Amino acid sequence: MSAKYDVVVIGGGHNGLIHAAYLAKAGKKVLVLERRHVLGGAAVTEEVFPGFKFSVCSYVVSLLRPEIIRDLDLPRHGLEILPLDGTFTPMLNGDYLWRVNDHGKTRREIARHSKLDADAYDEYGKAMADMGRFVKPILGMTPPDPTKLQWKGLQDLLFLGRRFQNLSAEDQYNQVQLMTMSAVDFLDQWFETDVLKATMSASGIIGTFLGVRSPGTAYVLLHHYMGEIDGAFRSWGFARGGTGAISNAIGDAAREAGVEIRTQAPIAKIKLSNGRATGVVLENGDEVEASVVSSSVDPRLTFMKMIGEKELPEDFVEDIRRYKFRGSSGKVNLALDALPEFRSIPGPGAHLRGAISISPAVEYMERAYDDAKYGRFSRRPYIDMVIPTLTDPSLAPPGKHVMSCFVQYAPYKLKDSDWDKEKENFGDTVIDTIAEHAPNIKSIIKHRQVVTPLDLEREWGLSEGNIFQGELTLEQLFFLRPAPGWAQYRTPIRNLYMCGSATHPGGGIMGANGKNAAEKVLADWKR
Amino acid sequence: MAEKKDVVVVGGGPNGLVAACYLAKAGLKTVVLERRPVVGGIAVTEEFAKGFRVSSILHTAGPFLPSIARDLALDRHGLSTIETEARVFAPALEGPSITLHADARKTAAGIERVSPHDAKGYLAFHESLGRLGRLLAPFLTMTPPSIDEPSMGEMWQLLGVGRKFRALPKKDAFRLLRWGPMAVADLVSEFFETELLRAAIAARGIYGVFAGPWSAGTSLGVLIGAALEPNAAGSATFVRGGMGALTQALLAAARALGVEVRTGAEVARLATRDGAAVGAVLKTGEEVLGRAVVSNADPKRTLLGLVDPVDLDPGFVQKVRNYRALGSIAKVHLALDGLPQFPAAKNGASGALAGRIHIGPDIDYLERAFDAAKYGHFSESPYCDVTIPTLTDPSLAPSGKHVMSVVAQFAPTKLKDGDWKSKKEALGDAVVGTLERYAPGLTGMVKHRQVLTPLDLEETYGLTGGQVFHGEPALDQVFTMRPLLGWAQYRTPVRGLYLCGSGTHPGGGVTGAPGANAAREIAKDLRARA
Repeated sequence: MSAKYDVVVIGGGHNGLIHAAYLAKAGKKVLVLERRHVLGGAAVTEEVFPGFKFSVCSYVVSLLRPEIIRDLDLPRHGLEILPLDGTFTPMLNGDYLWRVNDHGKTRREIARHSKLDADAYDEYGKAMADMGRFVKPILGMTPPDPTKLQWKGLQDLLFLGRRFQNLSAEDQYNQVQLMTMSAVDFLDQWFETDVLKATMSASGIIGTFLGVRSPGTAYVLLHHYMGEIDGAFRSWGFARGGTGAISNAIGDAAREAGVEIRTQAPIAKIKLSNGRATGVVLENGDEVEASVVSSSVDPRLTFMKMIGEKELPEDFVEDIRRYKFRGSSGKVNLALDALPEFRSIPGPGAHLRGAISISPAVEYMERAYDDAKYGRFSRRPYIDMVIPTLTDPSLAPPGKHVMSCFVQYAPYKLKDSDWDKEKENFGDTVIDTIAEHAPNIKSIIKHRQVVTPLDLEREWGLSEGNIFQGELTLEQLFFLRPAPGWAQYRTPIRNLYMCGSATHPGGGIMGANGKNAAEKVLADWKR
Repeated sequence: MAEKKDVVVVGGGPNGLVAACYLAKAGLKTVVLERRPVVGGIAVTEEFAKGFRVSSILHTAGPFLPSIARDLALDRHGLSTIETEARVFAPALEGPSITLHADARKTAAGIERVSPHDAKGYLAFHESLGRLGRLLAPFLTMTPPSIDEPSMGEMWQLLGVGRKFRALPKKDAFRLLRWGPMAVADLVSEFFETELLRAAIAARGIYGVFAGPWSAGTSLGVLIGAALEPNAAGSATFVRGGMGALTQALLAAARALGVEVRTGAEVARLATRDGAAVGAVLKTGEEVLGRAVVSNADPKRTLLGLVDPVDLDPGFVQKVRNYRALGSIAKVHLALDGLPQFPAAKNGASGALAGRIHIGPDIDYLERAFDAAKYGHFSESPYCDVTIPTLTDPSLAPSGKHVMSVVAQFAPTKLKDGDWKSKKEALGDAVVGTLERYAPGLTGMVKHRQVLTPLDLEETYGLTGGQVFHGEPALDQVFTMRPLLGWAQYRTPVRGLYLCGSGTHPGGGVTGAPGANAAREIAKDLRARA
């Protein structure tokens, strides 16, 4: 006979762990079950090659909510964020654009390309910070259901409406545009330098199956402006020890609060009794009983695999079936003997310590998307690279480096081929693309790990390889995430909750999902 | 010197004429100034080859709002519209073609042979879209509410719509919220599995806009269309005598109401006094004065072209510059010796060809057509909306002859290589070549061909960028944001200057609604000032 828990959490990713920690701090008896041998989900550090440790999937951090860091006392549990300084964009003509956190330097650098843009850059930064402040409270909010507005929901909507009214006319205008326009259309209004727009627009498409000219991508620009580390807006960083260190810190905090965590505990199904969730059945046949089940895995796994269509309302099944994953990115992780040498800035230097962005032109970005639209990976993809060993040498043997390359587009569904066949071709394309800018790359690679969308699905449990557990497009955000009418962390199955990236406010290492869902579970508990 | 008018209307397009009629009905002395020798703007019938006449730009109406036609007794002034039974015919090169009829059950019965799943899907889509369309219809004739200080009346109006919204089935309510920002390719795949059907419906979302079916927000066009015509097939409203007959009826109505209409009167700039609009200055130097000026021209042409920049805040000017008006349409007119044969239409001349003929076999085809424009080229294999107006109105051509009118997408405002003057005929060849595949023998029937590029639409018809809707109907440029957030109530920062064209709510497509709405606001202001 197994022990009875108050809450069993499916999945030990950052959201599952945060969710569990908050529940345990509120006095609940909580068990977290993780399928893999390591905690963290997509936020993991793994020693892929002996001596070389990689943030295999998610590789930078910016959005983790400061109140979560405080509430769970994560620094005491070993979380240390190291700053990631700047973005270096090599261009095909041998020039480059290199923005850093030093405002004066960046201004001079942009002025080298366009004086007008240097001025506009200040204005832009201010406007985006304002917008970020406007949107931030929405992240911590449970989305109202617009079709059955009770007093609370109506208040929430009115609150949003009033906040919008209180914005200056200029900010209202920007806000509306951000919610609806394409990243490039939005940036076109501010800047003229193509490479600047290309690199900035890249943050609008990360993790989506959209191009930089697709409407709706401007919003994601903002998503990336809301990041906050130690109170500084818009700063990006690495976790010392890799992204997995974040999960481990959260895991420690959860354990300290009394959470029990089991790894290598894959779940076969969620137990139901009279339409209520009563626990889970593991793949080895073990059963765990709990008053509440919270799933941090995506809705397709939760509902289609662990529950089954026939237990669910027909409309809901239709909504979950329609929910769009469409993974569009892959990773290539490299173990290097030496540092890459870029043609545009030869030799080692600070430009290698930040993000290195292969996004030389707006048209380059758009063509990369066109390939994906018709079912191929990009012949010349957008690549976002970091070399974390320059900031945290512990990740590789002395003198060696690891380089993490986030690659887009790699559509989950390939036309006329499959990922098992294309995996290494994809890796070659990525290396060839990098070699156009850093010709020595091929000679310094010791090991190469290619992670395709199919790998993300098989190994990390992300359906269709979507890193955000579902696309961040307007029709899948806020009160529509993950399904219309089910955006409040509850599900059609009583006592079953969702707490992963597929809930409001979406993906990224933010943690708000797990925390908001915990508050919902606790509020319902009292009733 | 001429008597001073109450309102000076710049531009005699459908919306300018509608506005003039309503202003006259409100007792205001009104003059319309039209640059071209004919009124009509985007809705004109012109002879493009000896004996052959065609609706020069848009070849079907939005449809024109029946309430306006009634108010202005347009039938008495000669308006006669034709709604064809077969609204859209989508021929296939191989396999079954699809016809969308006015009667959805008949459409479904036809689709049943191709896919029973899609037949069911079509009816579900038709019904849901109908419910949403009826909910949205009142918006068309509404002045968008003020964001900062909604008035009591505006709140009531919105509350009314809110109540209706809550009365919708939950599924439809969420559809309304989901569909707006969605890519139309996603929308159609929720209902249909047949590519041709998907493409034929999705085309409604990209018609006239600079977007492909995979662009987010293109479902919005389908929703706006549903507010006008809650039929999944969309509308196929022809005007007897071509679209020009509609504006001629409006002209007659306007004159009957006492409106003075002057053609060949090109406005050079706005006349202002102390920052307020007091009339228009013609190219000849003549001043036409009034208490208010309303421009039927698009927002960019009006606010960047007619207004002296010193009368506007630089921030506002910047926003107008950023207002997106991108060309996407080219128009090709063919004078034909006979009726083209579409093997896909079994009985040749039968009803199927009388409505709109959709050329675009699948979603990827439409998207590729857009890709070309994205990079500054016209599509070699364009998406075409084709009509043969002589099938319903033989008066447009000599007896036995036919006119084919083709809206071809995509054609960008600016070409990357070369210019429109040198590429014009190449575009015509691409369009005819595309159609030849569906109607073999067509090329040999062409007696005369006219090609209108986005440049022609701009130069001849005054459409900025060649954008036929006076600006993209994108999510950030509709309703309270058309043309700009804070300026959706037909007023402009220049006191006494109003907008009444398609660049205002509810947008383009020859509905008359922007003109009627604007007239209501102007009359309200002038009464208050009197």
